[in-house]
Amino acid sequence: MFRRPNLYTSYEAETQVLPTFTKKIIAAFAVVLLFTMPFDVPILSGPTELPILRSIPLIGDGLPFFRFLGDGNWIRFMSDAMIVVIAALGLNILTGMAGQVSLGHAFFMGTGAYGAAFLGGASSEKLLGLGLPIWIWLPGAGVTAALVGIIVSPVAVKLRGLYLAIVTLGLVFLGIHMGNTNWGRAIAGDPSLGRKFPEMDIRVWKEEQPLISVTDDGKWLWFEASDNQKEYLLIAVVMLVFLFFAVNIKRTRTGRALQAIRDRDIAAEVMGVPEFKYKLIAFATSSFFAGVAGALFASHVGKMPAAQFNLFLSVEFIAILLIGGAGTVAGTVMGSFFVILLPELVEDFTKWLGDGTEGGGVIAGAAEVLLTDGGGSDFGPVSIGTQAQGYALNVFDWNLIIFGVLIVGFLIFEPLGLYGIWIKVRNYWKRWPFSY
Amino acid sequence: MKKVTKGFAPLVALALVAAACGGDDSADAPAAEPAAADEPADEPAAADEPADEPADEPAAEPADEPADEPADVLYDYGVTEDTIRIGLNADLSGAFAALVTQIVDGQEAFWDIVNENGGVAGRQIELVVLDNAYDVPTHLANYEEFAQESEEGILMFSQSTGSPHTAATAEMLVDDDLLAIPLSWYSGWADPGPAGANVMELYTSYCIEAMNGVEYMAKALGATTIGIISFPGEYGQDGATGAKMAAEALGLEVVFDGEGQIIPGSDQTPLITGLVEANPDIIWTTSNPATTAEIMGGVYAQGLTAQWSGNSPSWNYQLLATDLGPVADAVYWHSTYTQLWETDDTPGMTAMVEGMRRLKPEAPLSDVYIISWTEGMATLAVLEQAAANGDMTRAGIVKAFGEVSVDFQGLAPDQTWGGEPNDYIVRDSFIYDVVLDNFDAGATVSDVGAGTGFELLAGPYVGDVAKAYSFDGACFSAG
Amino acid sequence: MSSGTTRKISAGLGVVITLLAAIGLYLVYELFTDPYTLLQAVVKSLAMGSIYALIALGFVLIFKATEVINFAQGALAMCGALFVSYSFTDEHIPFTTIHNPIVDIGGPVWIRWVLCALLGMAFAALLGLLLERIAIRPMIGQPLFSVAVITLGLEIVLRAVAYDAVKTAPRVLGVPWGVKDFKIGTAVINYSYVVVILVALAAFYAVFVFYRSKMGIAMRAVARDQEAAMAQGISIGKVFAIAWGAGAVLAALGGLFASSPPIGQTGAVEVTTALVAFRALPAVILGGLDSVQGALVGGLIIGSSEILAGQYLAGQVAWLGSGYPLIIPYVVMIIALLVRPYGLFGTPEIRRV
Repeated sequence: MFRRPNLYTSYEAETQVLPTFTKKIIAAFAVVLLFTMPFDVPILSGPTELPILRSIPLIGDGLPFFRFLGDGNWIRFMSDAMIVVIAALGLNILTGMAGQVSLGHAFFMGTGAYGAAFLGGASSEKLLGLGLPIWIWLPGAGVTAALVGIIVSPVAVKLRGLYLAIVTLGLVFLGIHMGNTNWGRAIAGDPSLGRKFPEMDIRVWKEEQPLISVTDDGKWLWFEASDNQKEYLLIAVVMLVFLFFAVNIKRTRTGRALQAIRDRDIAAEVMGVPEFKYKLIAFATSSFFAGVAGALFASHVGKMPAAQFNLFLSVEFIAILLIGGAGTVAGTVMGSFFVILLPELVEDFTKWLGDGTEGGGVIAGAAEVLLTDGGGSDFGPVSIGTQAQGYALNVFDWNLIIFGVLIVGFLIFEPLGLYGIWIKVRNYWKRWPFSY
Repeated sequence: MKKVTKGFAPLVALALVAAACGGDDSADAPAAEPAAADEPADEPAAADEPADEPADEPAAEPADEPADEPADVLYDYGVTEDTIRIGLNADLSGAFAALVTQIVDGQEAFWDIVNENGGVAGRQIELVVLDNAYDVPTHLANYEEFAQESEEGILMFSQSTGSPHTAATAEMLVDDDLLAIPLSWYSGWADPGPAGANVMELYTSYCIEAMNGVEYMAKALGATTIGIISFPGEYGQDGATGAKMAAEALGLEVVFDGEGQIIPGSDQTPLITGLVEANPDIIWTTSNPATTAEIMGGVYAQGLTAQWSGNSPSWNYQLLATDLGPVADAVYWHSTYTQLWETDDTPGMTAMVEGMRRLKPEAPLSDVYIISWTEGMATLAVLEQAAANGDMTRAGIVKAFGEVSVDFQGLAPDQTWGGEPNDYIVRDSFIYDVVLDNFDAGATVSDVGAGTGFELLAGPYVGDVAKAYSFDGACFSAG
Repeated sequence: MSSGTTRKISAGLGVVITLLAAIGLYLVYELFTDPYTLLQAVVKSLAMGSIYALIALGFVLIFKATEVINFAQGALAMCGALFVSYSFTDEHIPFTTIHNPIVDIGGPVWIRWVLCALLGMAFAALLGLLLERIAIRPMIGQPLFSVAVITLGLEIVLRAVAYDAVKTAPRVLGVPWGVKDFKIGTAVINYSYVVVILVALAAFYAVFVFYRSKMGIAMRAVARDQEAAMAQGISIGKVFAIAWGAGAVLAALGGLFASSPPIGQTGAVEVTTALVAFRALPAVILGGLDSVQGALVGGLIIGSSEILAGQYLAGQVAWLGSGYPLIIPYVVMIIALLVRPYGLFGTPEIRRV
């Protein structure tokens, strides 16, 4: 070994954002991959032409899991995943670093989304909206949510643990409910349809033609890009900013203070870490992240009702934190991608099984046992038919079930989550062949 | 550098494998077809051609072949040499799952029969069903998947569940040249503008249905006061607006206005309390079966014996099996758009009943299979018209929509969609009394003579208000 | 505690007392103007409060013994109700073609139904035991929050499975009292109100008696200090099992009553049955997570606030928002927590440095 990665010769070297050489390489590679992924880079797109690989039975036509380059649908998923990363990073700061249990993340996202709607949305006879450009409404969404977070934070000082969790849960219900009131409908729109959220076009002020249009396909600088791809890039840039901020916070004084509060808050106060101030900072920062993510999410989807910001969304974020590995940025990112892409994988897998029954062989046999098309005769726990009568569960149910099982499984078997698994794998390789 | 390479190698390998298994993606599909090119002239903002589209050839001659000769029609997305993909963006787990799963089931049977008889243009029809859980963002996400410009996309929608959901996609349908049959009877679908241009509405609308229902109730019972409650949005408020129009025309006093106040899943006590205090003679609701049950039961328990009726999706006959049954028998009249299961011997009804019995013998008895069948028939008519035109591109389907005229063979009033909306919109609805004795719990389609608990009161019925109504846009628009 | 904090607490308490006084005065006014509506509202409040108290009791029993807040109570409620429904209405045991023997039992329907109810409770208890063994036992020693999230995961799974059974049509429960009611003056009192109040009283009495028994004392010991209890020879496993079994049975009872007034109107298990547990959460928190009397008091307070608000504030629905009665419990809970952060009867956590 020529490198000693854990050997630091100065304080600055140790507290760098990317302290080791490997991390720097991986970060660079990831950024490059992130920005080239949506485009049809010639060598990387399409099913392979190499006859050797083509002939491998399953891989040749494309395994269901490896289809993320250049495909319109998957770009939207990646955009979704990146938005979720932003929000999850916020929750990581609050729950993972500062130890404040919060089931109310969906509420702060909603606050941000409706702040954005108010600032950036178009007004009509039933709706309020100021129509301001994105460079106002996006940070404005974050600020709105942060202000609400500041208001909520004294509650966290008084309550702890599960009591705090249930109160934040109550916030989620309250938030959705506010969309049902007369005054709430002026901002949130109709409780069933919702309202149109501002688009991600970049304008200088309220002019008609945007400076940089994100919602139309067309030429951009020197290459063609579709609207999905442009949105992806915008979101990627925002995500990188927040990612940097989140990684950075851990090595600052604030980050250390938050972790002290998580571990032993009375001792922290004794040592001079004011509990009230730092809980306030934690809530404000976390809500800022959530608000921006909520605004991006709402804009990305386009039009949705207040009921979208519900308990299940909050639970998804908690699950992301726990599946990914609470308290770590890498874990949060891994968890986000995992949870967002999971329904697609399940659907693809079931479809693949369904196609597999047509050929012969072992896989077809297994698939036959597992699948049923909902008719009366065959029996199997997974249904590919739509009629959900009887006892077979269809793909849509299995998504939920697998999600729940994963939450339970990860918490029982790997409390450190995906990050913990990654560490174990990495350590194994580090010490190989001496990994005992 | 060994250490770096060690960490690097698996990543590179992964990237290579990923690249190799790029899988189906958009660019390939239309490569070999005659002219996936832009349609001549008309549509603004024609479907986005991604940059890697092969050089457009000038449009090949549309073949004038009889429909069973494959590969002689123009096509772009959703059609291959052997299949035609039809999409259903359906609510399989949300507020209307009970009704919609049955409708989808019925459509499956319909298309199985069509495929048995050779399909359309020599191709078999393949149904693609996605669940939107009655949730607008999910509906939109599904739409993106359906509308993709590749083989994996669909040619047209034979079902798009939900008024607000379909409304959210209305302009996208025009942009993408897709046609959709909504599982929704919002009055705005008849609008020739972008809000309804590519939406193929069947039968009448909620607005007109409410007008008829309120008028019938008021005249039959001599009512003077009415209470109106509904969901918010294009479904609920469309019906509520129609009810209010009828009330105004007939001189009824609206003593309780609960338009847009029913939120599914929330506590309906304020509405129950309000209705009981207002004490109307009749009540019109535009909601779903669960909330109708809750409010109707609550109100009846408190002694208000007003007669109820509501737009068709507000009632599910299976509620007759529960403790609500006697209440519904006493105070609910059901309004709907078609005849009910096995009520007559028209060719359409006979074909449907036979088809369902043969292909889905265990399916629970329900009247919504008529909706399935008519959705299927309308789709089939459009497909066949397009095939006869020789143009089964998405734009060709939209063009065929403007030309087609569908004969439902007695299941529903025949319809066309060309000309002035005021002339072609359907104004007929049917009103039934809910009768517990006519209900056979647990019956399936194979049980001859079993009933779903209805008795015809009037139908096809067109009230004076509906007759006099002049269409100038949707009754309700969300703005 | 500085005098500043004492003053702050008193201010909060003062606000609460003023609010309660105002509500009390309004109710007295109603008593003189419209006594029958008030009577109906009061009985309904007691009934609703009893349902919440039953569910809250389930939460509390589980929490006291295992220190876990079981978010899966809702799904357990639904499953319990489904078990009762299957044994009562189906001819075959699910997934099999074995004939269901209960269907053949003659005699009055309600005897058959009570048998089905008992059977349903037994299955629910088994399900609770199973969950405890699979998901909770491995997590002993892990942070509470993780275990709470596990129960959330279980809720998602169970609910997805249970939904499948009722998505397309509600399942008839066949409760003997149905939606029938009787009248006192103009006040409408459903039979279900009376039944649920009696059942709740019985349940609380049973728990009260149980906690005085040997096993009950053992459970209380485990709740106080697990290690010390183990040192005394108490079997933690048995205690956990009983706690979860009992919690599941109470959840199932809640599920049964969720189909009848004042919550449901159809006497059937529907998609919304599982949500009744989330409505009862404020009652648990308000009373204190580890207090049995807190469950009763909290349930009654939450139930009454919901019903009374629904009855008397109905005219304000425009600005309060449709469906506001579901939010009132959470508002009440938050206000109460500001004054007493551990609930009305909860034991404050002693934090050591």
